[in-house]
Amino acid sequence: MRTSAYKPWLFILPALAIYLTVIFIPSAYTLYLSFFSWNGVAPDKKFVGLKNYAELLWNDTVFPKALMNNLIWTLGSLTLIMGIGLMLALMLNRKLKGRILFRGLFYFPYVLSGIIVATIWVWMYNPMQGFFNHALEWLGLENWTRAWLAEPKIALYAVFLAAIWNGVGQPMVLFLAGLQTIPQDPYEAAIIDGAKPSQQFRFITLPLLRETFIIVVAITMVSSMKVYDLIYAMTGGGPAESTHVLASWMYFQTFRFANIGIGSAISMFLILITMVVIIPYVYYTTKKSHV
Amino acid sequence: MKKPMKMMIGLLASAVLAAGCSSQSGNTPEGGVSRSETTTVSLWIIDDQLWIDGAVEDFNNAHDDIRIEVSKYGVDPLKEALKVAANSKTLPDMWFTWGGSLGSFYAENGLTADLTAIAAERNWSDKYNQAAIDMSTYGGKLSGIPYHLNAVDMWYAKDVYEQLKLTPPTSFEDFEGQLQTIQNNGIVPLALGGKNGWHLMRLTEQLIEYFGGAELHDKLSRLEASWNDPAVVQTFEKLKEYSDKGYFPKGHVAIDQAEAINMFYPSAAAMSVEGTWLDRNITAAGFDANNFGVFKFPTERSSVFAEMFQINADLDDAKLAAAITVGEYLTSIDVVNKYNDTYGTPATLNVAFSDNMPNVEPLLDMATKGGFLIMDQALPQEVVQKLFEAQDKVALDEWTPQQAAEAMEKAVNDYKGRS
Repeated sequence: MRTSAYKPWLFILPALAIYLTVIFIPSAYTLYLSFFSWNGVAPDKKFVGLKNYAELLWNDTVFPKALMNNLIWTLGSLTLIMGIGLMLALMLNRKLKGRILFRGLFYFPYVLSGIIVATIWVWMYNPMQGFFNHALEWLGLENWTRAWLAEPKIALYAVFLAAIWNGVGQPMVLFLAGLQTIPQDPYEAAIIDGAKPSQQFRFITLPLLRETFIIVVAITMVSSMKVYDLIYAMTGGGPAESTHVLASWMYFQTFRFANIGIGSAISMFLILITMVVIIPYVYYTTKKSHV
Repeated sequence: MKKPMKMMIGLLASAVLAAGCSSQSGNTPEGGVSRSETTTVSLWIIDDQLWIDGAVEDFNNAHDDIRIEVSKYGVDPLKEALKVAANSKTLPDMWFTWGGSLGSFYAENGLTADLTAIAAERNWSDKYNQAAIDMSTYGGKLSGIPYHLNAVDMWYAKDVYEQLKLTPPTSFEDFEGQLQTIQNNGIVPLALGGKNGWHLMRLTEQLIEYFGGAELHDKLSRLEASWNDPAVVQTFEKLKEYSDKGYFPKGHVAIDQAEAINMFYPSAAAMSVEGTWLDRNITAAGFDANNFGVFKFPTERSSVFAEMFQINADLDDAKLAAAITVGEYLTSIDVVNKYNDTYGTPATLNVAFSDNMPNVEPLLDMATKGGFLIMDQALPQEVVQKLFEAQDKVALDEWTPQQAAEAMEKAVNDYKGRS
């Protein structure tokens, strides 16, 4: 009887050890560092309590902007990237000629690294030699040409367009996998009952894709909160610090300015925001799940 | 049969593991020189130093006891990679760095070897330019082997000037007149990008020198004078004026130095603010350096800075000796002369300048009249970032020049409050 009480712990011990080492301990250490003023290499750290957090909230002009940009990015990801991914999955789930080729074409951008995507799109956005402005001039729309990455009001959205191109492949593939697990019988019965395509989508497809939605929403939300490479490579957080997100500002604070405490405090904000959103969402959706 | 098969797989896996582990320790390669007798010196350097591959190959072929392993990075990636490595205690044995606050971080935190005694022993004051030695010294300790001594000033495309019948300006009014003339003829006057911040900053600091004079400029760099000063406001006003008049490339705040300078090489832009390294970059890009000239921005002093090879403070005596050998080799007269087309402006004395670098000597001559440390090395990095932000926001109409000066002053005060 005593042996069986310890057995479950023996089984989870390897995974627990990895989780503690790779996730919990570094996170706890980051929390600890967020209460200090430290440059990352000096032997002594100066305890400052909540001063780093106060600095971010009341004195740092970039932090509120970065936070807002993260929220915009998350909203955009959940609506546009997921929405377009779902739409492509629905189209490619039909029997149409060349669907395997199209699946590959739409998925291909997702396998490119963020730096490659950024390099391609920076050149497309180049105000003098870029594809977009040349195309607009060719169409007689010179008035629409812009310095896409140089205007604070549109730079973030210009980068986000690149993110859509890069990111839509992942939800597309996940939704496609989910769609292919849905049997045809409910659709046949619905057709017999006279259901329109929109009604079939609303009352059959969406409910049966629930499990897939849980996964896609969680992955999309987490990815959007930690976006960094596209921002860094396309704009460096500019122009005028207008496209910084929490991850890029955290990187600047930690590795450019050697403010480890402030960088750690930003990462704590990032964890907090992600947990506030993800934990209730996963709890609610898994309660409703039939799994 | 299942049990013997499992045992065989287990034995095979163990053999592979053992082979993998043993291959990292003391195998004797062909030629009889044991790897354990060879000291490998890791070196991080920026990726436009085209001479390094040839020099390292020469060295490795000539030495059985020391081997150089080079890793290359872009300008900003190297700055960040070094900081990451410093934080994670994974700095290489040697690394390229700029002077000022970019290089001082490692010296001030005890991460670099103190080379003062070695320099005295090996008479480095006879080998290297004293200004470069001074700029590689922090807190009285020599913290790097001097590599480059750079001067930065105005470059122009000769064919554009010939086409527009212009000659290099000798006054500020002349300079501004030429900017308008060039712009009127559909050519970008100043190929400067704002994305990195430091490219446009080279003009900003010249304007500060012009409007504020040498004394105020130096005090601003040392954080001993208020940045909320009329000279600083005038500087930002000029940046705004030049941006509004279209003197910079379209969307310049989002263009990096590489994109900007790619307009200058084929003479799509008339001028830029670059340094003694540009001749070799022009040649590497497939253009003729003789088609470009330099002139003094209408101030007395030039922007100058040194570059050095710093050495990891944690090396044991044998590895330190190997690193010193490597550093002295890479900055030796023989190497500089052999690769003088692509080496850049050496801190090494008594070297021959290449005919393919016609603008180096004129730039160095201008710098003999006096120099100020380039601003992104003179200022703390947080204050530098605020300067970059101010440059952008003034151009984008988000800040007035007065607001930009006030923001700089606040950034300085915040920095001093935290230090």
